[in-house]
Amino acid sequence: MIRFAAVFMLLLAASFALELTPPVQAALVAPWTEGLARLSAALLTMFDPNVAAFGRILQSTRNGFAVSIEAGCNGVEAALILICAMIAFPAPWKHRLIGMAIGLVAVQALNVLRVITLFYLGQWNARAFEWAHLYLWQALVMLDVVIVWLVWIRSLPPRAPHAA
Amino acid sequence: MRPDTLPRFILRVFLWIPVCFGAWYASAAWHGTVTGWLASLIVDAFEPGIVKAVERAGIELVFVTRIPVQASAAQTGMLVVEVGPLIYSYGLALFLALALASRTSWHKLALGALALLPFEAWGIAFDFLAQAGIKLGPQVAAQAGFSSAQREAIAFGYQLGSLILPPLAPVAVWAALNLRFLEALVRPPRQPVDE
Repeated sequence: MIRFAAVFMLLLAASFALELTPPVQAALVAPWTEGLARLSAALLTMFDPNVAAFGRILQSTRNGFAVSIEAGCNGVEAALILICAMIAFPAPWKHRLIGMAIGLVAVQALNVLRVITLFYLGQWNARAFEWAHLYLWQALVMLDVVIVWLVWIRSLPPRAPHAA
Repeated sequence: MRPDTLPRFILRVFLWIPVCFGAWYASAAWHGTVTGWLASLIVDAFEPGIVKAVERAGIELVFVTRIPVQASAAQTGMLVVEVGPLIYSYGLALFLALALASRTSWHKLALGALALLPFEAWGIAFDFLAQAGIKLGPQVAAQAGFSSAQREAIAFGYQLGSLILPPLAPVAVWAALNLRFLEALVRPPRQPVDE
């Protein structure tokens, strides 16, 4: 447990510091965030034609309301936490990679749902938007990370007993 | 009592979430006072003497500083910075939901809530430092006396305190206090043994 905690914290500190550097922001985080806005807009236009994405901004063409997907709302930090937890936990690499792939899809799917719900919540009520945006969805996305991690650990093959 | 399964645990967490968010919000002013005091200690360790007092304005925390600002040609005042503590403390609601769903004892519940306070204080302290050292412009940062290395540290501390610690700390504290429960939760179901 101590080894897991130490490796996890080291990995997370290093990957988070790397994420904040301008080259990584420009090459990975910004395109990812813009892709998230485009994906959200593409999903929304299937039932609401009055939505458009500009860069990282998702805007209603009907009333002008817009949300900008910023750091903390793009699911990158949640994904980093999950990946670091899976690498730090003793498991075969094959299971780690499968876990990361499925886990990232689970985290990002919920994050798209967060963006979409916030987009409509903001048009309905500013206070509800603030609550959901700043507190509730943050907790739910982290809960998603925890659930994915627990399910992944449960699915790991039993470790071979030590040779006598 | 039936043994806990992961789906049952997850269901209980979701049932506790609204209750715990309500309790967290109702107690926000109280723990805001404590975290505000702890945040002033962190700020003081980072840049001694910069904060004169931390006051409460409703739920918001107000940092009264000793940083002089020119209000007009004839008037100089002291910089006052407002910080909203809730974005750093919502993890308390998440911790309570996880702890209650795992039937944590009351003393562990209290211990966990106390253990979260320094993490919340970190976020509040670095929010204040980010405003004074970066967001309010180079003039205020120069008046505050922050070096460029300190401003780099503030930027990292602020990002860490706002993006990583608020969601991660409650889960880490809950896991640390509930290791046996966690082990039982992730243990695969027993396979039937052939006679």
